[in-house]
Amino acid sequence: MSNKGARVSNKGARASNKPINTLSLYFQREWQLMFRNTSSLIQPLVFFVIIALLFPFSLPAEGELLQRIGGGVIWVSAVLATMLSLESMFHSDYQDGTLEQMLIHPRSLSLAMLGKALAHWTATGLILTLFSPVLCVTFNIPNEQIWVLFAGLLLGTPSLSLIGAIGAALTVTLRRGGVLIAIVILPLYIPILIFGAGMLTQSAQGLEVASQLYALAAILALSITLAPFAIAGALRVTIN
Amino acid sequence: MQTIHGIAKLCSLQNSLADYLMPSSKVISIKDLSCTRGDNQLFDAVNFSVGLGQCLHVTGPNGCGKTSLLRLIAGINFAEHGEISWNSKDTANNSDFHRECAYIAHKEGLKNELTSIENLRYYQQLDSGVDEVALDDILDKMGILKCADLLAQQLSFGQRRRLSFARLLIADFTLWILDEPFTGIDTSGRNLIESLCVEHLENDGMIIMTHHQSLVDSPLNQYRSELTLGHA
Repeated sequence: MSNKGARVSNKGARASNKPINTLSLYFQREWQLMFRNTSSLIQPLVFFVIIALLFPFSLPAEGELLQRIGGGVIWVSAVLATMLSLESMFHSDYQDGTLEQMLIHPRSLSLAMLGKALAHWTATGLILTLFSPVLCVTFNIPNEQIWVLFAGLLLGTPSLSLIGAIGAALTVTLRRGGVLIAIVILPLYIPILIFGAGMLTQSAQGLEVASQLYALAAILALSITLAPFAIAGALRVTIN
Repeated sequence: MQTIHGIAKLCSLQNSLADYLMPSSKVISIKDLSCTRGDNQLFDAVNFSVGLGQCLHVTGPNGCGKTSLLRLIAGINFAEHGEISWNSKDTANNSDFHRECAYIAHKEGLKNELTSIENLRYYQQLDSGVDEVALDDILDKMGILKCADLLAQQLSFGQRRRLSFARLLIADFTLWILDEPFTGIDTSGRNLIESLCVEHLENDGMIIMTHHQSLVDSPLNQYRSELTLGHA
């Protein structure tokens, strides 16, 4: 009978699955794994820098041209670098069975996915954003526009990770899902790209950029609230 | 209207009272379950129920759907036909069920980049199970305490299996779903897992397992009922 008592009390302790605990637990775990496997931290940044630097080499050496297209180039590089890192987002979890355990765990799968996507953003999008001013200098972009680009990337890249995770979830069981992720997800990135790069054109003409910032913020609010459910739903369907 | 409400309230009170007084009422029951993979029907109209202290041994030839059955019960795959219920409630999206159910399969759910103890700690935090100190005891019980600080990728296959079984002891799961638990494990490991299973069943647990060999000589035999899938 004493054994039964222990059972019941133990269950009571386990019932306290607070949402914030679930979120931080998965976030911390992702970071713990990324620190053990530092290539996943470095690769997107290196890829981002190399793609962006290919343009000055391939275009005529007119200072003004680079200045005009620099912002757009940095945005496209950020999108491609995020894209590259998406394929591995669920791959190892799927291979080693962790994903199956997440699916059947009583903790919310959507929150777990939000934690994972946010960790993915801090490891890719946030690092790229922090590094972007350096690239701006190489493109000779004026100082005030550097801040515009920085703010745009800061608001836009989390949406890239969250929306991209849906594509990663849909293709997790495929052996070479990378190309498919690009086909599925890149069209969805277009609005973010339009507003993000549009901001720079506006600010170069001395116009207000607040409306584009609001639009990026709105997309972010939508993707933070809806994408986790879409990721969880996509995983349940693909693993089935 | 109020009377109906009152009666319904009374009924639910009675139910919860019954649950409290008779914990043995826990049962998982499967009705008319079938499973198809593509055009291939693996099994059809499977019916059984498992109560506390019982072990269901699923047998059958390769490809008859043993693993698929376990995945359906665990909730990884969806059942197209038939129902799976835990205490007469559907198991789909039933967190009460998932809180009491542990599923151990070929894919161990271990991270190569983490050490044994870190892998175990992850599940301990997820399940809010036993406290930190007990993790060492669990590793000791599974005979892999000396590997506590080794990365999971440095462990042998058998040691990884033992580590994945350590998960069962972290929290108080009622239902263990074990897919070929004795694969890749040595004799002492097999004895260990069998004794854990017996202990679990003695403590009013329940087990659903697949194993391709006979369990007649196993200490599990006295708790065991057998379900044969396919045309064996």
